[in-house]
Amino acid sequence: MSPSATDSPPIRVEGLARAFNGVPAVREVSFTVGAGEIHALCGHNGAGKSTVVKMLSGQLAPDRGRIVIGGEPVELRSRQAAQRAGVALVDQELSVVPALTVLDNMLLGDLDVPFVNRRRKAVARCRRILDDMGLERISPDQPLSALGIGERQLVEVAKALGQNARLVILDEPTATLSDAESRHVFAAIRRVAATGCSVIFVSHRLTEVLELCDVVTVLRDGRDVATHPAEDLTVDELITKMLGQTRRPPSAAREPGRDRAPGLRIEHLRVPGRLADFTLTAQAGRIHALAGQLGSGASDVLRALAGLHPGATGTAELRGRPVALGDPVGAARGGIAFVSGDRKSEGLFLGKPTAWNLVATRLPTLGRAGVVRTRRERRTARSLAERSGLPERWLDEPVVTLSGGNQQKVFVGRCLEHENVRALLLDEPTRGVDVGGRAEIHRLLRQAADAGLVVMFASTELEELLDLGDVIVTMRDGRTVRRYEGDTDGALLLRDMTHGPGPS
Amino acid sequence: MTRRWPARPEQLMPTVSLLAALAAFGCSPLLSGRPLEPFDVYNALQGFAQLGLLALALGITMIAGEFDLSVAGTYALGGMLAVQTGASSPVLGVLAAVAAGAAIGAVQGGLIARLRIPSMPVTLATYIALLGLTYAMSGGLSRTYTNGDATLWVDRTIAGVFSPRSLLTLAVFLVAATVLGRTKLGRELRAIGGDRRASRVAGVGVDRRIVGIFTVSGTLAALGGALLGYSYASANPDPGLQPLILAVVAALLGGVSLAGGRGAPLGLLAGTLAVALLAQLVAVTALPDFSTQLLYAALLAVIVAIESPGLRQAVERRRARRANAARRRPGVLP
Repeated sequence: MSPSATDSPPIRVEGLARAFNGVPAVREVSFTVGAGEIHALCGHNGAGKSTVVKMLSGQLAPDRGRIVIGGEPVELRSRQAAQRAGVALVDQELSVVPALTVLDNMLLGDLDVPFVNRRRKAVARCRRILDDMGLERISPDQPLSALGIGERQLVEVAKALGQNARLVILDEPTATLSDAESRHVFAAIRRVAATGCSVIFVSHRLTEVLELCDVVTVLRDGRDVATHPAEDLTVDELITKMLGQTRRPPSAAREPGRDRAPGLRIEHLRVPGRLADFTLTAQAGRIHALAGQLGSGASDVLRALAGLHPGATGTAELRGRPVALGDPVGAARGGIAFVSGDRKSEGLFLGKPTAWNLVATRLPTLGRAGVVRTRRERRTARSLAERSGLPERWLDEPVVTLSGGNQQKVFVGRCLEHENVRALLLDEPTRGVDVGGRAEIHRLLRQAADAGLVVMFASTELEELLDLGDVIVTMRDGRTVRRYEGDTDGALLLRDMTHGPGPS
Repeated sequence: MTRRWPARPEQLMPTVSLLAALAAFGCSPLLSGRPLEPFDVYNALQGFAQLGLLALALGITMIAGEFDLSVAGTYALGGMLAVQTGASSPVLGVLAAVAAGAAIGAVQGGLIARLRIPSMPVTLATYIALLGLTYAMSGGLSRTYTNGDATLWVDRTIAGVFSPRSLLTLAVFLVAATVLGRTKLGRELRAIGGDRRASRVAGVGVDRRIVGIFTVSGTLAALGGALLGYSYASANPDPGLQPLILAVVAALLGGVSLAGGRGAPLGLLAGTLAVALLAQLVAVTALPDFSTQLLYAALLAVIVAIESPGLRQAVERRRARRANAARRRPGVLP
């Protein structure tokens, strides 16, 4: 079934569309990828890249439109169907199994692998693929759990490139890789493309997109707005196409940074493999935005401060008192409230009522001798709900029945008016939140800052960063790129996040 | 990152448990005052045969990230079916038991995979239902098996220490080890247990594999029950929870993780042997009965502590603190 270089016709995507709960994520996307072509899909968050990738790889069925591979329309109902049609995938989320060895991961799901293992042959092939990627140090028999995140990602890329595919899709393959590692990945992609295999490459790092790819298709609001040969484009032109013609009007003038009490002082914060040396002094009363894509280390700053990275080193002081790193309970006691980007598993008690969730972190203040007083609990919940903009009738509804935006309001509301909380850290505060909910959450954060809290959030969304951040720190590859105070330009931020420090 | 502590748990844990049990068993003459005889080994292997298939049935579902509580019910049902249908032809009785076990497993697997129900409640319900069914079949009484030849045959000594029953159990373990260790299927089962989402993305047919694993687990448990029924020449409608608990102990001693994705049939073999050896040790030395339980508990505690995430995190934290201190010391900045 392996296609040879000459007779493999291109991949064609025609009028693909897909909506979630009536909200269109992809409206109409068409493009073609030639044999041996490396084709980039670019677009800002929410442009529909991931949805297109999911449809092409058999993880989502399109509502409309069709996918043509090798001249025949295909219906990709599952990942297996896509594998049979010759589509290999490096998923946006790391999709290798830590419990298996490197070799087993390489073979997992590959249709060409025989039922009974031919170990010697498989090891030799695995060795060759690893060497091609510059991974001489990794042995096929190592358990994957012994490797770091970057190396696991490399194994996943190696696996997809090693399969005998017609089309290899790489969705953010380099987000957790160093530059040297990325270079090996690119070389391997070029080698695979040279055999006639088509490649679709999705990345937030625009420099590498232009360096690696032959053709770039730009997506915006679920449509393909432009397709260009990569050599005709510069990073700035690409950014303009991704953001569209409408430039944001500058947001309302902010108070200049007057002398304020030092709030949160972070020095030389490191998380092995994720964050290299982060230093920032955040004043109380101002909102600090960490701007960075997946793998930039922005959310790792917050997670480390909240005690969720056991390996974190460095010093942090909140109002002069040291924050214990690597200890979630200690961090909370020290006055740090962390609103995780993952509401479902690290935030709310989904099956419990709203009121219950709102007071969950302040039970000691509501009781006498360890017994919660119901009336007092009720009163507190009601006042918090009012402040967070939640109607009173929702207090007894389980949180799981609320929309994403309202769930997030419960999550943020829980941290407000808490005599113990001195710093509010939020990871992607409005992920999965509709426009109205977003404005209300932003209002809540502003109020929290005005009340004298240190507010710091990590986000990938330009609008949110620009609307909310009094101080914006751009990050890439675990390092700080630049620090902005007051108004700045979205294109500048995007450039820092995707391209690294340019000429200032 | 050269120092990794501890080494591969799925090898370390069964090795430690088996060696500890063997050492204790080997030292038993010190307590009993008489040397070990082949007959003691034979008895230990009979204990292994009694538990082995049940532990394997449970263990393979644990490797695939599920938990099949119903094996204890299938075990009882298999024994009862074999005893009642196999009087004239023992093979027919085993086939009836195995077919019933496979069917029960397939239905459970289908429910769990297709409807995405957690395996715990499904298999718990099946366990209770099967006990009821076995009770109904037998009228609540132990049923005797009338084919004396078959009973003599399954426990006949071979080479001094084996019996057809223990050899068959060993053979099943070896087949399972080959399938899980040497085939695509085994790799996929371990992958499903390790990370189900990643397995799906990689293109593994997760649902079909789950149906398959429950079918196999039901088959093995029923076979174990049938052989036990022949050996005892009777079937008990309710063997109680003891077999299930011992099977879990054997699986954990064998390095199978409750979280799934970790473990191997050979580890299960070692874990089951450890359990059987400790039971035989108590019998040989004429220690009071309760010491078996204490020995299991002690060994389990040691094995689980070696591989606890809490201990691992504590080690990691200590290293981070040390690294931090080294960095703060002036003059030694890297």
